Amino acid sequence: MKNKIIILLLFVVTSVMADDQKYIQSMAKNIKILYSAKTPEQYQQAINTFDRIGNAEKTKWEPFYYSAFGYLMVANIETDIAKKDQWLDLAAAAVTKAKENSPNESEIIALDGFTQMLRITVDPASRGAKYTGQAMSLYGKAIQLNPENPRALALMAQMQLGAAKFMKTSTTEGCATAANALEKFQTYHPANPIAPMWGKEMTDGLVASCK
Amino acid sequence: MNWIFTPLLLFASGVVYAQTIISGKITDVKGEPIPAANIVLKDSYDGATALADGTFNFSTSETGAQTLVVTSIGYTKSSVNVNLNDTKLTLSVRLKEDINNLDAVVISAGSFTAGDENRKTVLKALDIATTAGATADIAGVLNTLPGTQKVGESGKLFVRGGDGNETRTFIDGMVVLDAYNSSAPNTPSRGRFLPFMFKGTSFSTGGYSAEYGQALSSALVLNSKDKSDITQTDIGILSVGADVGHTQVMDRASWSGKIQYTDIRPYYHLINQVLDWKTPPVAIEGSSAYRQQVGKTGLLKLYGNFSNTKYSLFLHDIAEPTSKQLMNMNNSYGYGNAVYQQALNSKWNMRSGVSYSYNQNAVRIEDAPMHQTEKGIHSKLVFENSLSDKIETRFGAEVISRQYSESKIDSASDYTVGHSFTEAIAAPFVEVQAYASSKLVAKGGLRMEYDNLNNTLGFDPRLSLAYKPGNQGQFSFAYGKFRQSAKNIYVVNQSDLASEKAEHFILNYQIITNQRTFRIETYYKRYFSLVRFLDSNGDKLNNTGFGYAKGLEVIWRDSKSIDKVDYWVSYSYLDTKRNYLNYPSSAIPSFASRHNFSVVYKHFITAVKTQVGVTYSYSSGRPYYNPNNPTFNNDRTPFYQDLSANLSFLPKGWIIIHASCTNLLGRNNIFGYQYGASPNSDGSYTGRTITQPAKHFMFIAVFITLSKNKTVNQLPNL
Repeated sequence: MKNKIIILLLFVVTSVMADDQKYIQSMAKNIKILYSAKTPEQYQQAINTFDRIGNAEKTKWEPFYYSAFGYLMVANIETDIAKKDQWLDLAAAAVTKAKENSPNESEIIALDGFTQMLRITVDPASRGAKYTGQAMSLYGKAIQLNPENPRALALMAQMQLGAAKFMKTSTTEGCATAANALEKFQTYHPANPIAPMWGKEMTDGLVASCK
Repeated sequence: MNWIFTPLLLFASGVVYAQTIISGKITDVKGEPIPAANIVLKDSYDGATALADGTFNFSTSETGAQTLVVTSIGYTKSSVNVNLNDTKLTLSVRLKEDINNLDAVVISAGSFTAGDENRKTVLKALDIATTAGATADIAGVLNTLPGTQKVGESGKLFVRGGDGNETRTFIDGMVVLDAYNSSAPNTPSRGRFLPFMFKGTSFSTGGYSAEYGQALSSALVLNSKDKSDITQTDIGILSVGADVGHTQVMDRASWSGKIQYTDIRPYYHLINQVLDWKTPPVAIEGSSAYRQQVGKTGLLKLYGNFSNTKYSLFLHDIAEPTSKQLMNMNNSYGYGNAVYQQALNSKWNMRSGVSYSYNQNAVRIEDAPMHQTEKGIHSKLVFENSLSDKIETRFGAEVISRQYSESKIDSASDYTVGHSFTEAIAAPFVEVQAYASSKLVAKGGLRMEYDNLNNTLGFDPRLSLAYKPGNQGQFSFAYGKFRQSAKNIYVVNQSDLASEKAEHFILNYQIITNQRTFRIETYYKRYFSLVRFLDSNGDKLNNTGFGYAKGLEVIWRDSKSIDKVDYWVSYSYLDTKRNYLNYPSSAIPSFASRHNFSVVYKHFITAVKTQVGVTYSYSSGRPYYNPNNPTFNNDRTPFYQDLSANLSFLPKGWIIIHASCTNLLGRNNIFGYQYGASPNSDGSYTGRTITQPAKHFMFIAVFITLSKNKTVNQLPNL
């Protein structure tokens, strides 16, 4: 009897673990596809998979986080500015969905800021002030929630350096943030195999531009 | 432990996973493939992305009755029930176009919207700050759009043969009474509201929504900004005064306040003025806004504004210029509104608000005092419902209650005589917008208005249609009936005057592509029930006045063809006549000009971090009444022409240096002529020109923004 209970328990535990295993495995596989995507079609393919996983896994924030990241990458390579805004709308919608499951996740808040930052590029003159403020306050919030989040720091550094370059003012502040971000990247240990890993290359570039 | 799990997993995958292969094709209703559509077996990871030819193919271990969901950007979601039993399943799914997609047709007849969010706008919010010649005045910028006529001595918005008071201003849907500040006789007034407060503007030159009433010609709907994100302090040092503002951001709320002091005296010492000032205008103005987020979707907005303006000048007699009278003006103004909006659920939305306006002109000519005071309260409640993505309904009701009083010394009795009236208008309205497809939309509305003064209930229908035959250009039509109470100075004499009325018919074609806009619009407008004088003084009045206006308008804007350059060109043709007030017969009113033309050019020069703007405006001559000419309003002023320039230099991210100058060509623009009340001994009347208060208006300012974030400046606030 005792043995039977143990076996039954084991079976239950195993099936739960198997579910999570399936989630982690599917996510990890698709994250790889996302990071290696180059064209909007490839990104859309990865995004569709994340959306499928996200709709099935109703408590996880990662799938829609990566969908949003995918849309941001598409927006980044889009040249038609009206279409760029459409991609950013889709990114913003995915960010909102991710937030529903984890409203205080520093990574999502940082991505929200990234979305606002890309909004500026659609019409810098009109949108600069409004979205600079929104992006900076979201980066600030993301860093406050997790001071070890290297992506939040890297994005903030990019914003500061971009503004300094445009205004031809001192880059000291932006360079300090970039250096800090790089430091955090070196000590960053992903909590699990599907935790965000992107951004180090961008930070290397920012730090290099400061030298 | 792993050695236990591994075989178990293997076992599980070996037994359960009998596979069904699902394949098929995703198309639109016309059978065209939809690439990149997402096909998903509900609540599973299984699915696929459609290929370029719309086909897909995937396998699943799920069995039994399942739901296949297909989604794609720009199309509505489609669900198909499937039964999976380890064989092949082939199906094709047709997706319907999403009506709310960005390429869908929109009703555009008669309206211009400005904003940063909606990409299909003719104007951007920033344009108000950066258009040369507009001197950061909302009406000044809108005067470069088609449908407006330049009336240099007024500064108000004159739309399609309508008088300046036929344009009504709304802030967040709430009525503003007396939206322009008090200026000296025949000098342009400015709007009381600073453009930086608003995130979007909708300027309608006709055919507007049933939600807006008490405007015969035009509705200017200003939408204030939501919660701020940055705490900052703004300081402005201007050649005509100074201002200081502060914005404080809290977790779910923000507060901002601004105080502005304007003293034009030092400037008038330097630049010669046409008017004989004793004390040029001195004004103090303050405004404050508070925003509070409530719950998940609620937003409360409070806004308040007050100002006080004083000046005194000498009015010279026309026939005998050396004889003069001293006029003193003291204007006090206050406006406040509170607006609350919230989504009740996914289908219902609620907006409510209340506004209060107070305006008092205390005038003294020599020793004779006069007062004019207007106070008004407006309250409104609106519900919006999206029955489906195709049908939207909006309905609500509003009450506008206002009191106007004036007093002056009666020259015969030497007593102060006062008159006043109190008007209450109650107006329910309903509006339904229905999409037949993403190519065709119709909107119908009805507004009912009850006015206590003339005890009438009026019905004003509104109708708009828009049709988009291809991918880009679209046609739009609008019809509407509009009413507005007669001007205060007439109602106070005769309180049972009927409302003045107008009907608009508008036909529009517009094409907006990537950063280029072309738009052409034609209209016919019929005025009736206008106020008419029964005696020479206007003491006895009735509503038998009438008139018409028709015209053709074009605008072309291009921000794409030349790098860093944005320009627009607009032209309006107007044919209008009316027979109202003291007109002996139908005539062109003195505020109407047949041709209006504007070119606005903006260039950002990155190397010197400077934006340069140039605006050219032209208006053909306007009629004026010359008592020496037997035909009424048969004389014409010379044409009006102005070339203005401005530049904004950003030496640092948080400093802006701004300079502007109007009338670079130095033209002596004449807006009209005034004549003495009685003829000279030879029987002729002496005339005098109404002209610009000075040849140029020059303005220099430094704007400084202090915040933690050094990239924030006042450019959007100018």
